[in-house]
Amino acid sequence: MGLHGRTARAVAIGAVVVSAVTACGGGTAGTTGGGGAPSELRLAIGGEPEDGYDPTLGWGRYGSPLFQSTLLARDQDLDVVPDLATDWSVSDDGLVWTVDIRTDAVFTDGEPVTATDVAYTFTTASRSGGLTDVTALREAVAVDEDTVELRLERPQSTFVNRLVSLGIVPEHAHGPDYARDPIGSGPFRLVQWDPGQQLIVERNDDYYGEQPAFERIVFQFTGEDASLAAASAGQVDMVAVPSQLAGTEVPGMRLVAVPSVDNRGIVFPYLPDDGRTTDDGTPIGNDVTSDLAVRQAINVAVDRQALVDGVLEGHGSPATGPVDGLPWGEPAAAVEDADPDRAEQLLEQAGWVDGDGDGVREKAGVRAAFTLLYPADDSLRQGLALAVADMLGPVGIEVDAAGESWDVIDQRLHADAVLFGWGSHDPTEMYNLYSSTRAGVEYWNPGFYADEAVDAHLEAAMAATDEETANREWRAAQYDGAGTGFGPSGDAAWAWLVNLDHTYLVDECLDVGTPQIEPHGHGWPVTAGIAGWQWTC
Amino acid sequence: MAVDLLTRAAPMLRALTGRLVRLLLLLAAVATASFALMAHSPVDPVDAYVGGDIAAIGPEQRAQIAERWGLDDPPLERFGAWLGNLVQGDLGRSLTFNAPVTEVIGERFLTSLALMATAWVLSGLVGFGLGVLAGARQGRLTDRVVCWWAYTLASAPTFWVGLLLLYVFSVSLGWAPVCCAVPVGALAEDVTLLDRVQHLVLPALTLSIVGVAPVVLHTRHAVIHALAGDHVALARAQGESPTGVIVHRVLRHAAAPAVLLQFAALGELFGGSVLAEQVFSYPGLGAATTAAALGQDVPLLLGIALFTTVFVFVGNQVGDLVHARLDPRVVDDLVRARRGRWRRDPDPDVLPAVEPLPVVPEPEPAGRGAR
Repeated sequence: MGLHGRTARAVAIGAVVVSAVTACGGGTAGTTGGGGAPSELRLAIGGEPEDGYDPTLGWGRYGSPLFQSTLLARDQDLDVVPDLATDWSVSDDGLVWTVDIRTDAVFTDGEPVTATDVAYTFTTASRSGGLTDVTALREAVAVDEDTVELRLERPQSTFVNRLVSLGIVPEHAHGPDYARDPIGSGPFRLVQWDPGQQLIVERNDDYYGEQPAFERIVFQFTGEDASLAAASAGQVDMVAVPSQLAGTEVPGMRLVAVPSVDNRGIVFPYLPDDGRTTDDGTPIGNDVTSDLAVRQAINVAVDRQALVDGVLEGHGSPATGPVDGLPWGEPAAAVEDADPDRAEQLLEQAGWVDGDGDGVREKAGVRAAFTLLYPADDSLRQGLALAVADMLGPVGIEVDAAGESWDVIDQRLHADAVLFGWGSHDPTEMYNLYSSTRAGVEYWNPGFYADEAVDAHLEAAMAATDEETANREWRAAQYDGAGTGFGPSGDAAWAWLVNLDHTYLVDECLDVGTPQIEPHGHGWPVTAGIAGWQWTC
Repeated sequence: MAVDLLTRAAPMLRALTGRLVRLLLLLAAVATASFALMAHSPVDPVDAYVGGDIAAIGPEQRAQIAERWGLDDPPLERFGAWLGNLVQGDLGRSLTFNAPVTEVIGERFLTSLALMATAWVLSGLVGFGLGVLAGARQGRLTDRVVCWWAYTLASAPTFWVGLLLLYVFSVSLGWAPVCCAVPVGALAEDVTLLDRVQHLVLPALTLSIVGVAPVVLHTRHAVIHALAGDHVALARAQGESPTGVIVHRVLRHAAAPAVLLQFAALGELFGGSVLAEQVFSYPGLGAATTAAALGQDVPLLLGIALFTTVFVFVGNQVGDLVHARLDPRVVDDLVRARRGRWRRDPDPDVLPAVEPLPVVPEPEPAGRGAR
């Protein structure tokens, strides 16, 4: 079994494909190489959507929903490009998005994709109670056959991400069973889904966009052990591996590390502890981390590259903010780190001195000591928390790294520092982490950070009607060039530590191009560029 | 004759009704307890559902989710609504799988059934065989090896056995598939029975290996017990061969506890399948249970709890019946007990009195030494 049987079958199917492609008069790179290229890819990247493939319930929320097409898309650099839409504009008040759609798109059941379907999809998604948040939509109206107006409750520049991620479903074929038998106008159509086991998809030959090189793709939904076992047995072409296992040698496969904004960072309680509590009675504030000098000193003292090398075993990059490498990230917000001398200097200037010689500084009777909470079942965050505590000891800040359950963290996240993980292609996340309007809401802005100038930039970015203005305001919120911003060079509201690389073992013959910087989720996002994947052997 | 049948049918009917009432009470208790546990779980269902997307889901959307799932109503009201639907045969809709609960359970159970049935039969047959062998050769090398083997298995965790088998047979030797119930990449219509069997082997083996130990040990004990009986001594004295003694005088005695145990172990079998299915990515009811629990999927979890209750209850009842067939003393006991419980007046005509088997004395090595 294994490699031989597989190759033999692949060659047999390959022969059929080659003749089919030649008949159509266009050869693709995927079938070159002497007929050795398989027409079928097998991926074990996890992330089975147990509730099915209905975009109105959240399927494809990271973009590229496979079966459906989206109005817009993000290219490799994460810039917005048209997809099903040919043109789009936003009214001056930011409340009406007008989208023209192409007329040559058809669903896999042969029906054309119309503006009515688009309006239906957005309306349904805004009321479905699923995993895609379209609550900003007031109504969606098809103005004519190929124009749709999306009218919003409030201006929201990040609504563009709904246009990027919401797959259009056919109004005539959408119902309770749709999730198991999706019909769409995307690059693939569903052949078979064995829940808990595998998803088999086939190329949609009627797709209007670039045709994928592979005729069939099988997603195998196995656990980590079984997936790695399948890779070792030569049964899959690509497998997602946790970074701890990224060093596993598998013959015929190479390691592909995709950069991501799957970040880890420390949120600091921004307010002093003056006895305030939330409505639920959770305490707010911390007398140490509310001091700007302490937060800045921590940002400067931490050696992020050492964290990447030591804790992530090299599979990551230093994080300077929550949106590193994204079009709305501001590199100037970063500070030079791994500089304990500068950290000590900052602390001295602010009056933090070690008067009693116990190695921990004090100021006005307050010891420079705080608790850093992390979820106890997360070994990666544990490693980071302990390493940070080790780095801060020498500069005179005592960090007590404590692993707790989320139940405990929920009670203390406004009064103790917490090691969080975020990362999204949607800047709404950044808004939620830093806007004063989000203080204490869900897990957002747990430190109760609030700054008027930053708030103004965040609101301006949200209300912007074009991508460029929005990105400029997003960047200004991190650092405005004059010393203000929530980034480490400004208020240093967080100490971001690392961005993880998402690691995959990939067949040596499979070229996956340059994948997008991935969001928090490991797995599906890597399929964003699947149409461009090639077999190179 | 007809009258005779009727008088015989009446107690049977009574027994059946009694058992049904007991099942209903049990179901009510299980449903209430499960719901109470779920309602008091510290895990917020919306948080569990949203998972890693927590940054992208705003308060308005969370309110929508809570509304779709009916989480806004007070727990008692939700339980009442669920009960009302249940009476009409509607188990509700699974939130995790976005499908009717009955459909999810039906689909998953069919897959699990093949796995559990195979494991059950295998562990029963192998366990019984080994137990008889060990009992017949008590104290000798065979006995000691079998006992050692059984004790080792009894203390081996299911998932560990599963991982070991996976590594040896799938990764190192490549004899068995690493996962799933069907070949990866194969269309449903191309999947043969042989494919299914091939994918069943390792998980079933894992489950049966772990289930063998108790059957072996109990059977062994029963065999030793029976071998020390007077009737065996008599048979031996009449010149019956050792094999004959085992086959004609001991097997039936030994089978009774083994059968009872095997039926009573259905619950454990189910528990073991949760782990085995996890290791082999076998999409059965066990895997669905894990998903439902992690996702706070109340309708599905309650459905599965009720379903397994019925499953285990029926298993135990069948075990009782088969046990009674094998050992008439049990019928007598059962009837006597029930008469005491359900009706006060003595009714000696219910069943012809069965002459109790001679009381078997404690096993004595002396019987062996006499040979």
